[in-house]
Amino acid sequence: MEGRPADDSELITRALRGDSAAYEEIVQRYQQIAFRTAYVITGSSADAEDAAQEGFVKAYRALDRFRPGADLRPWLLRIVANEARNRVRSSGRRRQLELRLTEGFRPGDAAPSPEAVALASDERQRLLALVNALSDEDRTVIASRYFLELSGEETAAALGIPEGTVKSRLSRALARLRARVEEAANA
Amino acid sequence: MPDLEEQLAALAPAIDWPLTPTLKVALPTHGVVSREAARRGRRPANNRWILAAAAALLIVATLLAYTPSREAIARWLNLHTTIQRVQNPPTPLPLPPGPLGERLGLGTPTTLENAQSQLAWKIEVPPSLGQPDEVYVKEPPDGPSGGEVTLVYAQRPDFRVSGQTGVSVLVTEARGKVNEVFFQKMLGPGVTIEDVTVKGRPGYWISGSPHDFVFADANGDAHYERLRLATNTLIFDDNGTVIRIEGDMTKSQALELAGSLS
Repeated sequence: MEGRPADDSELITRALRGDSAAYEEIVQRYQQIAFRTAYVITGSSADAEDAAQEGFVKAYRALDRFRPGADLRPWLLRIVANEARNRVRSSGRRRQLELRLTEGFRPGDAAPSPEAVALASDERQRLLALVNALSDEDRTVIASRYFLELSGEETAAALGIPEGTVKSRLSRALARLRARVEEAANA
Repeated sequence: MPDLEEQLAALAPAIDWPLTPTLKVALPTHGVVSREAARRGRRPANNRWILAAAAALLIVATLLAYTPSREAIARWLNLHTTIQRVQNPPTPLPLPPGPLGERLGLGTPTTLENAQSQLAWKIEVPPSLGQPDEVYVKEPPDGPSGGEVTLVYAQRPDFRVSGQTGVSVLVTEARGKVNEVFFQKMLGPGVTIEDVTVKGRPGYWISGSPHDFVFADANGDAHYERLRLATNTLIFDDNGTVIRIEGDMTKSQALELAGSLS
């Protein structure tokens, strides 16, 4: 049907036939989530850009080995995240990931009262500060699952661990964050 | 007050991510697939490497993927293998560049004689396939505590070259402690697993669609970055040695090879 965006399998088929425009469409479709995933791992915009770029090139070269019918996104994220981890390992450094809130963010369509916004914003800042203060491992799994909104399968791919480990790691991270939230509330 | 998970989810749209750059992915002028296929056609040696590597990865993937039930653990204990049924098995990373042994994580290249001198147990070989084209050994900490050997048979009549490994047959033999895990597998839809008996000992025949496979090291830790797709595989216990035969072959061919090991 004219005007219908091509689905991933169509784009893969076309890319496998040598249609580079089809692969460029795949890149455009997934570059944001790939870049942000790499950013969560490296903590650096420059490293994340390099990792995403190299990851997409590697994925293109391996496209003929992509499992037909599988979801493309987790596969791409696995490759990009692996590239990001390799960069962290080879450089021997990892910049501390520090997540920030968008200034003036207002949840929902209906603007709440200034007091409500100020209060909500304050609560958000406090919660994000507690997330930023967690260990790398805890912060990364929480950021992947809740802020990048990756599925369990995608989080496993991004972190290079089994899906079952994602569940247990996330559960422990949430327990530690909950304890810190309660500590802060009682302080 | 919403619970913690709801609060975290509500933060997602408020996160100030760095601006996503427009990625400039420099692709080859010609389609990478056709170019790769042409290259493989001109250089069959690459296929051998790919096949051997793929076989090694298959074993690992099998072990990594399994979160066995109590009953299943008992069932597989003597095979040092964990197997997991999953609805959506992950598509492995592209195999790294390099020689077959490196790509499939098979270990150090050696000769059959040298491999035998390194290992305290007898390496079994299928006589009908002749001398292996390549031999690899893995010892702790990279391999099982008792060591592991992989025999690579690049191309043999009656055995098609596997699209996953690039060789006709891979035979991996490993030995270790009772509870040690050597291999992990993830089986998706389209993969069947059957009980078989080889030399009077239990084994399993895994066939159908390719399955995910990964080797584990001496600590039982699987290295998921080496996860790969594996083709049909027979795995069985041969008097304390776990033997894994992988190739694009039928069950009867695999059982015949297994029965001939000496």
